[in-house]
Amino acid sequence: MRGNPVYKREMTVSSRSIRVPVIMMVFNSVLALVALLNMYSMTSQVRVTAEISYASFLDLYVFVAAIEFLMLVFIMPALTSGSISGERERQTLNLMLSTQMTPFQIVIGKLMSSMVNMALLVVSSFPVFSLVFVYGGIQITDLALLLLLYLAVALLSAGLGLCFSAVCRRSTVATAISYGFLVFLIAGTYAVNYFIWSMAQMGAASYVNQMGGIASQVNSGVLIYLMLFNPAVTFYQIIGAQAGNREVSAQVIQWFGSRSSNPILDAWIPVSLILQTLLAILLLAVAVRAVDPVGRHQARSRKREGRERKGRLCADLPEQ
Amino acid sequence: MLKIENLKKAYGKYHALDGLTMNICQGALYGFVGPNGAGKTTTIKILTGLLAADSGSITIDGVDALRERQSMKGKIGYVPDAFGTYDNLKVWEYMDFFASCYGMEGLMARKRCAFLLEQVGLEERMDFYVDGLSRGMRQRLCLARALIHDPVLLVLDEPSSGLDPKTRMEFKELLLELNEQGKTILISSHVLSELNQMCTDIGIIDQGRMVLGGSIKEITSRVDQSNPLMITVYSNMDTAMAILRSHSCVRTISIRENCLAVGFTGDAQDEALLLQQLVDAEVLVTSFFRNQGNLESLFMQITDHEEKEVLLYEGKPGL
Repeated sequence: MRGNPVYKREMTVSSRSIRVPVIMMVFNSVLALVALLNMYSMTSQVRVTAEISYASFLDLYVFVAAIEFLMLVFIMPALTSGSISGERERQTLNLMLSTQMTPFQIVIGKLMSSMVNMALLVVSSFPVFSLVFVYGGIQITDLALLLLLYLAVALLSAGLGLCFSAVCRRSTVATAISYGFLVFLIAGTYAVNYFIWSMAQMGAASYVNQMGGIASQVNSGVLIYLMLFNPAVTFYQIIGAQAGNREVSAQVIQWFGSRSSNPILDAWIPVSLILQTLLAILLLAVAVRAVDPVGRHQARSRKREGRERKGRLCADLPEQ
Repeated sequence: MLKIENLKKAYGKYHALDGLTMNICQGALYGFVGPNGAGKTTTIKILTGLLAADSGSITIDGVDALRERQSMKGKIGYVPDAFGTYDNLKVWEYMDFFASCYGMEGLMARKRCAFLLEQVGLEERMDFYVDGLSRGMRQRLCLARALIHDPVLLVLDEPSSGLDPKTRMEFKELLLELNEQGKTILISSHVLSELNQMCTDIGIIDQGRMVLGGSIKEITSRVDQSNPLMITVYSNMDTAMAILRSHSCVRTISIRENCLAVGFTGDAQDEALLLQQLVDAEVLVTSFFRNQGNLESLFMQITDHEEKEVLLYEGKPGL
């Protein structure tokens, strides 16, 4: 990673920019303020009731984790969606592509620099996180699972930003499409499931009216699997389980109608993490392809030549 | 050294390159000229691996540049028409970044950067931020960047655009110095007078095809022949016109008062014989000379498709 010229340059430039320190300061200030207010309310409550509600300290953990999750989801596209289109706008992308650096190296360099900036933000919030450990309730494995989710989410958000940054000519368009896609992943998959489930419910209700029978069990069908790409649902499952709700996984499956469990739905967290990582890799591959116009053109030419060769072979075959 | 054969590139139905063929010898300073949209930048982008050709071949030192794209990038240094910079990056960091893009690291890279910055006269500005440099300095920095990996071929796309005359002159000197050191240079420019002075070879491209190419000496002599013969007649204009119209080397005649501009395809001997003929026919000639040509006039002649040869006599067409 250190040998990647783009990563090195991005780190040099971002270390001189005021953007990352400002984001870090605002983010940690909000977290610290919320944590202190939470602790103040706890101690005030103790003064009045003489009871310590240790479960309330978990609220602090949930809040800090949720803020970090939202930050990763919404700041990563902002950091990445202008990175390649910005190079194009500054007319520096062609300079890089005219060197011996490959499009893959360019995209990976951009990805790594944004991931490192994000990791810096996450690590800087550890002092606030550590307040939870003072009172207990959260184990290091829980934190490790949460960090794994953060990694997958950061990769997905960065992949989205880089993909549209490589495909779109303008940074503003790339940013808008990245956020649009992200909103679809988070709210869209939920809305699609809800809509289909509602339609199915209406259909079932009219059937029941006609037949006078018992309402059949309806659900959103296979569209529930779309939710596996929804990072917010994965976060909800992880944080719900860590905050003491052992039934959270089963509850999520039943959101859009009752359905029987299966190995994929039972292993929601690992499957969704793997699928989101695979989607991120796919988006990065699209970004690499979009950065390299010659490679794209050559692939098209090869396909065309293949078709022509096939056509010639068919024409040469003797008629039976 | 560089050989381009039957290069074709189309953007939809528009053919930017339509069978371009050109050769550049080792050590040449090749001027690549043509009107806007002729296909210069497309050729340069294909050459530098930024664009794919539809068909044709490019070989550099006998190696197929279109197939061995990645390794060929190590042989070409590219200076684009638009110079992009990064915010918050110093001159030496900018050079160091591009050195690492070619796999050069550490002391070797630093030495090479320092040498090139000294060569382009920016050694005292190593710690300046790139976006704070003047356009001329940026252009010199861009040239140093293009030389970082010691390429065999240097390709410059409109390097003089936006530069003041002094900076342009300094940049020209720099290119001549590099050419003397043995670098082969391909330079695309609209400033034809400048190319006329510094290039060893020239190629004129129009509508995606090479319409004229060769050494600058050859082309200049052709320019002179293509310029009109200027004849000022003191008296007996009708006789002069009759002689000119019947002469086999005369292609066009345009007249303004008593001055004739004659499109004449003959050589120096034919010119002398024509003058003798006019004098023998008692036409009083006060001046008789071939207009001195330059690259601009040839360029205009080759690339002006709207131009029609119109023979005029006292404002009446169709003489």
